[in-house]
Amino acid sequence: MPAISVDTFFACSLMVLLVLSAMAGASKLLYPHISNAVDANISERYGSVSKYLLLNDGKPSNWGQDYEATLQDFGLAKANSDNPYELDIDKVSRLNNENLYAVSYAQMFTAFQMSDVSFRMELEPIFEVVLNLTAAFEGANETSYEFEILTEKQGIPVQVELKCYVIAENYLEISHAGVSNGRTYANKTISNDVSGPALLIVLAKSVSNPKIVSFSAYPFAHNSAEPRPRGTFLRLSPLNYTLNVSLVSLETTLSDAYALSFNGSSTLTQTANSNQSATYDIPHFRDPSSTLIVVAGWNSTSFFTEWTAYPQIPLQTGMNFESTAALSNVFAWTYLVSIELALYKCTVWLGGPRE
Amino acid sequence: MKNQNRGQIRIIEAFLAVLIIFSSLAISANLSVTQNTKASSGLASIGLQVLLKLDSDGSLARYIDNEDWHTLRDSLNLVLSAGIAFDLTVYNDQMQQVNTDVVSNGDFSSQDIAFVEYACASQGSDFHCYIIHLYLAVAT
Repeated sequence: MPAISVDTFFACSLMVLLVLSAMAGASKLLYPHISNAVDANISERYGSVSKYLLLNDGKPSNWGQDYEATLQDFGLAKANSDNPYELDIDKVSRLNNENLYAVSYAQMFTAFQMSDVSFRMELEPIFEVVLNLTAAFEGANETSYEFEILTEKQGIPVQVELKCYVIAENYLEISHAGVSNGRTYANKTISNDVSGPALLIVLAKSVSNPKIVSFSAYPFAHNSAEPRPRGTFLRLSPLNYTLNVSLVSLETTLSDAYALSFNGSSTLTQTANSNQSATYDIPHFRDPSSTLIVVAGWNSTSFFTEWTAYPQIPLQTGMNFESTAALSNVFAWTYLVSIELALYKCTVWLGGPRE
Repeated sequence: MKNQNRGQIRIIEAFLAVLIIFSSLAISANLSVTQNTKASSGLASIGLQVLLKLDSDGSLARYIDNEDWHTLRDSLNLVLSAGIAFDLTVYNDQMQQVNTDVVSNGDFSSQDIAFVEYACASQGSDFHCYIIHLYLAVAT
């Protein structure tokens, strides 16, 4: 074989080999960038959609208050608001399944008018309040309870001012628990003449910004059996500053109802009642705080308390992406939103078919 | 002799072709810069929204008027997610730095840093205009 043929064969083989390896290398190097570019475009689109959910007031714009209106366009912003990311207290409350007037995911999805986008929303206070009953001392005339109050955000202590309410049968105690650096203890003493179960409600307000608030409730036995889970006796549905109370059992009778905020409290007046429900007016506190609503009553001879918040949070609504994450492009965004002067954290998940 | 040189020229051609192909690979590696820009814009959006919310009731300008840098830092710490590092600088309308304390929650070891410029005005009787520079990064 002549030398030139060997050289040419060697050169061609080298070229083919290196071109193939370069192509393989190029595709391996570029694939994640091309794939990420597609993901980035989807992410950008979903990001805009998530903002639209919170900046658009929907149609009709008062669909939160008017539960009889047909929801045509889904959006949570407060109508005619000057502040971006200000949500409507009633639209938010209607996302909570505990509310009698809650909109279903099917209704939201239809009104959202994006057939290729599924969504999920969570709304909660920026930090959390955790209550633990650490000790109980029973005396001849009264019983003292010691509660640990933790205020933290993702495990980091938050400095707050605290307000405590204790509610039992014909009993309401209001106390200011002072400033906490993230962990404090509160002692509550209740006369043994008072029947329970009792309910401790704690409202917390950040020292650095009074619009950042949170709350928690802790039912506990006092001269009574252990308290039953929430929703056993009543279904509380606040909407349009009116509380609708639905009785779960016909043996239930209502006694007192309270609206509690950080700087104020009020006993609610019943405006209507039937054998299955009752309504109360909720006062409009000009206070950057969630309003906690407590309704007490008897089921046969057992005393009970039920509570909810207005806006009715924390809430989770929408599609559950955990089972479909492998099949879908799912993105999440967290926003700082305001509802009636107070700030909350809203997380929006959006997902669609993987492209 | 002439035929033998033709074979050597083809080897040189092969090496030139390889050089061109690998140089194209080197250029394509720069595409990753675009991805960082996208990630930074997400952080910048979060920063802008947080400043907007703090400013909605005048809190932001009040912290600056009162030179309450500690409270401003605590507020930002609370409203931003735990994994986000921030560094904030306040300038007056002459672009002179106003904050005397550092308003930050950590060091910026991340390469992906977002920048937000925000203007706010005090709501008191004395009008002051401030320009805020907020740097954000994912804490590592």
